[in-house]
Amino acid sequence: MIAFSRAERISRALRAGLLIIAAVGIVMPILWMVIGSLKTETELFSSPLALPAAPAWANYASLFQQFHFGIATLNSVEISLGVVVISVLLGGMAAYGFSRYPFRGSRLLLSGLLITRMVTPAALVVPLYLIMNALGLLNNVISIILGVGVLNLPLVVWILRPFFDALPREVEEAGLLDGLSPFGVFWRIAVPLAAPGLLTVALLSFIAAWTDLLFPISFSTTVDATPLTAQLLQMQTGYKIYWGSLMAGGIYLTLPTLVVSFALQKYLVRGMRLGY
Amino acid sequence: MSSRRQVRGDRSRGPAAGFLTWNRRVQLTGIGLTLPALVFAFALMVYPVANVVFLSFHQYSPLRSAQTTDAGISNYAWLAASDIVRHSIGVTVVFTVVSVAIEMGVGIVLATLLAKLVVESRQLFGRVLSRALLSCFIVPFAAPPIAGAIAWKMLLHPQFGPVDAILRSDIAWFSQFPLASVIAADAWKTTPFVLFLLFAAILSIDPDQYEAARLDGANGWQEFRFLTLPSIMPVLAVVAAFRAVDAFTKIFDVVFVTTGGGPGNDTQVFPLLIWRTAFDFLNFGQASALAVVAVLVSAALGAALLAVRRLSPA
Repeated sequence: MIAFSRAERISRALRAGLLIIAAVGIVMPILWMVIGSLKTETELFSSPLALPAAPAWANYASLFQQFHFGIATLNSVEISLGVVVISVLLGGMAAYGFSRYPFRGSRLLLSGLLITRMVTPAALVVPLYLIMNALGLLNNVISIILGVGVLNLPLVVWILRPFFDALPREVEEAGLLDGLSPFGVFWRIAVPLAAPGLLTVALLSFIAAWTDLLFPISFSTTVDATPLTAQLLQMQTGYKIYWGSLMAGGIYLTLPTLVVSFALQKYLVRGMRLGY
Repeated sequence: MSSRRQVRGDRSRGPAAGFLTWNRRVQLTGIGLTLPALVFAFALMVYPVANVVFLSFHQYSPLRSAQTTDAGISNYAWLAASDIVRHSIGVTVVFTVVSVAIEMGVGIVLATLLAKLVVESRQLFGRVLSRALLSCFIVPFAAPPIAGAIAWKMLLHPQFGPVDAILRSDIAWFSQFPLASVIAADAWKTTPFVLFLLFAAILSIDPDQYEAARLDGANGWQEFRFLTLPSIMPVLAVVAAFRAVDAFTKIFDVVFVTTGGGPGNDTQVFPLLIWRTAFDFLNFGQASALAVVAVLVSAALGAALLAVRRLSPA
């Protein structure tokens, strides 16, 4: 190992410094929102750069007292669970089928499915609204689950099919020879082997569902079927923005995705790499 | 290594090479496994798109009447003549180009520095630092777009935003520089995606090549210009194309929450225009014509992207 020259050491320190500044800058918007969410409205406007004298937890309490965050949380959880189940189940089966059991026309269907990933969500929401209206599903979380689910499905297949492609085929062939049905092979051999991939898509599906705004604002007008994202918008009315509550609500909404992302960072980064 | 090659070989002979004897059963299994997803996608994606094509030739305003009336090509004639539509497409193009350019620029710089740090850091401090940096960089990606939008609205608020407080100004950024502000918020949200992908691409370059470059006396810039950049070019191209398609077709939340498309129509990006035409102005006929255009554009871009991706396996 060669000893680093003085110039080399300085350049390394500079580069590290630049990265640290960038990292702080990138975290700053969320960090500042945490600080802001703990300030009273007076503090917010009178001393923008100061820390709160004492944490104003009232902002967080107002979420539940004024803005129905109890029921909204429940709705968000229901929507996320529904989307994760649909995505992993349907997407996992389809990806495995496309990977292992091609049939006539399957390549074309796969390309078609993958292209739908690029569909503008706002374009799809217009006819879906009419369908959900006809089915009587407006103001029901089911309509939101179906909408987010169908938009999320192509991404799941996109990520999982190469994942199944890369699994060793020999184990599955052995399973077939031992008398397992093809579906048995899928369920008992491929699914456990693909667990990291399934966890990755489950994570991405959760984030997509938890953070979706488009479908709730299009399909829900009642509190009973409104998740957190759409409920947040109730805090900016035409004549008053409830800044304290808005920031507290923003942090409340962000926390679960951040916690899950940190815990499963490896899978999230893999999802990014496989997802484009 | 050898087992991997074997799998590759199998695939080139056709994925079902091992089970050819029961060809029929294989086909049925494939259909059975994919059918639920295909039915789901057909019912909620293909059928609605067909429906939107139908509606685009009709007049339908649910508040006024439940009837659809034939409108011929009038919705498309409106679309072709409308200044609002043309303006919206222009705004979306500017938004996409500038936002993706910023993401790629910042992403390349940070990814290069980060990769260097990771490669050079053999001591505990360096490893802990790079871990911590990566965790910071993932935050915008993991944060909900709407939360990021609220954060930026607060950062740039003329009365209590820290940006104006530090500058000792009272610029209402989202009204005075609406498009630039929206782009800043969006670039913040999406740069980590670019950063992580390029970071992985740089790390996968053979370290011996850097060693060789150093022996040849290359300085940091030359190393980047003649080794790093050419090596990651294929990934760079696909990521940029993907981000551009994504930005163009999916930008919605950030604009909806911060400016709502205003002031005037200054930030009325195309997806937002579709949504407002349907849900604010309740003109489903015109909204459908816009949606058809959006679907055509996204299908073309999507097909192009699939082709690009196949050409350069990233």
